[in-house]
Amino acid sequence: MITKTVLADTIFQTIKQGSCYISPDVHYAFEEAVRSESAEVPARALTDTLASLDRSRERISPACPDTGWPLFFCKVGNEAVIEGGILALEEISKEMVARATKEGFLRSTMKHPLSGDDPGTNVGVNVPGFTYKFVPGTDLQITFVAKGGGSECFGGTRYRVVAFADGTAGIKKTIVDWYIAAARAGAICPPAILGIGIGGTSDIATHLAKEAASLRIIGSHHPDTEIAAMENDLTDALNGLGIGCMGLGGKTSVFAVHVEYSYTHIAGIAVAMSANCMVARRATVRIDDAGQVEQLADPHWFNGR
Amino acid sequence: MALYNLNIPVTDDEVRTLRIGDMVSFSGSAWTCRSRLHRYIFDEGHRLPFSTENQNVLIHVGPIIVRENNAWRLVSFTPTSSIRFEKWGARSVEEWKLKAIVGKTTMGPATMAAMKRFGCVHLAPVGVTPELFVDRITVKDVYLFDELGSIEASWQLHLEKIGPFIVDIDTEGNNYFEQLDRVIDDNRKDAYKKLGIPEDFEYTKLY
Repeated sequence: MITKTVLADTIFQTIKQGSCYISPDVHYAFEEAVRSESAEVPARALTDTLASLDRSRERISPACPDTGWPLFFCKVGNEAVIEGGILALEEISKEMVARATKEGFLRSTMKHPLSGDDPGTNVGVNVPGFTYKFVPGTDLQITFVAKGGGSECFGGTRYRVVAFADGTAGIKKTIVDWYIAAARAGAICPPAILGIGIGGTSDIATHLAKEAASLRIIGSHHPDTEIAAMENDLTDALNGLGIGCMGLGGKTSVFAVHVEYSYTHIAGIAVAMSANCMVARRATVRIDDAGQVEQLADPHWFNGR
Repeated sequence: MALYNLNIPVTDDEVRTLRIGDMVSFSGSAWTCRSRLHRYIFDEGHRLPFSTENQNVLIHVGPIIVRENNAWRLVSFTPTSSIRFEKWGARSVEEWKLKAIVGKTTMGPATMAAMKRFGCVHLAPVGVTPELFVDRITVKDVYLFDELGSIEASWQLHLEKIGPFIVDIDTEGNNYFEQLDRVIDDNRKDAYKKLGIPEDFEYTKLY
């Protein structure tokens, strides 16, 4: 059985790690971008950001003060036994978000949308967010994502319907136009990891986009060759825009484009975009039936990716 | 592009010398302001509870600051997006007599006009670098903590060579990011071409 004690300790450590430790794939993407950048200003932006991220890890201090929305993505084994069930998992997650906020690993960012009232805990109506996927087995896998406000609020998150008649050209044009509008002046903290959801209802498309942006690692490819080609083509095209790190110009404008799709009603094709900022904060752990905890570099949220 | 180390209060002469693309670091007293403080002052008619005369540099930022052993400890600090305060930008430049605003992104036409008229610049961060700042900032005081909450309160800070930030709006009405937009717009056509999007592509109107 996965006990409440193990859950509390593991979830707290995962929040701390998600906020303070950059993932290996993101670190590598920064190193590559530093190597390829020749213009002085974006080169400095990339180098200084990487230096700051490395120091955040040493000091166990947030990679960015905007720790954004606390989101939990859980892969729950169909036979997993959790003390107190899923309700205990949610209750403990909320308590640990509040604790991490009090101790300065998260900023007290979540407020009432109209009054701006700040509970000081990041816990309130419908936050933190919980998303579940049920899988075979007895393990419980938890990914904590600190979803930054820049990439969420300033045009990095979009939705529209494209006619089937407009085809992939219509989908790609929308993404180019959205990305330019969102990344200019560094609004979404580029180079972003861009998640694209195609098909489904609006909520299915936006979920796919968010999960593709936040849970797939840089360098992963969709197994469908047509989709993988779309990912590569969009990455190349967006990197040619000259937006650069924090919109200062330069060669690297996106770290990755991840596309996921759903079968759909082809009267209109839902297209959703979700951008994750360049520091792309997430941490994943797996807890087995005996309470053993293992950290994972890749959430493998989608089958094999 | 030139590099400047400016002491706060910044003078009118100093600020009018700066041009877009210049890099600036600041030392001296500065303060923080976000959405709720702007609304509290400009929409709800309160007065700013401190003088900005000797601290004419405003930083749009929501830091992480915790209370430990009866003292404030700055945990993390990097500028937040300025564009969302555009509604209040021109009044903040004029009424708070600001010479510089530091924030992510940029500001719009009304604030740019006020900056030209009153002599003020906007500066954007070069990267996301909280750990390069925290050791060089001292928290002196805080106003409106109970009313607005920890990140929306006005923190009074002492800076020791914080930067460099890049000037994106100067006192001549130039905007660094608007100039880059022209380059990006040219590149947009290449992106369409690479992706096989016809030049005359038009969307089917579904709604």
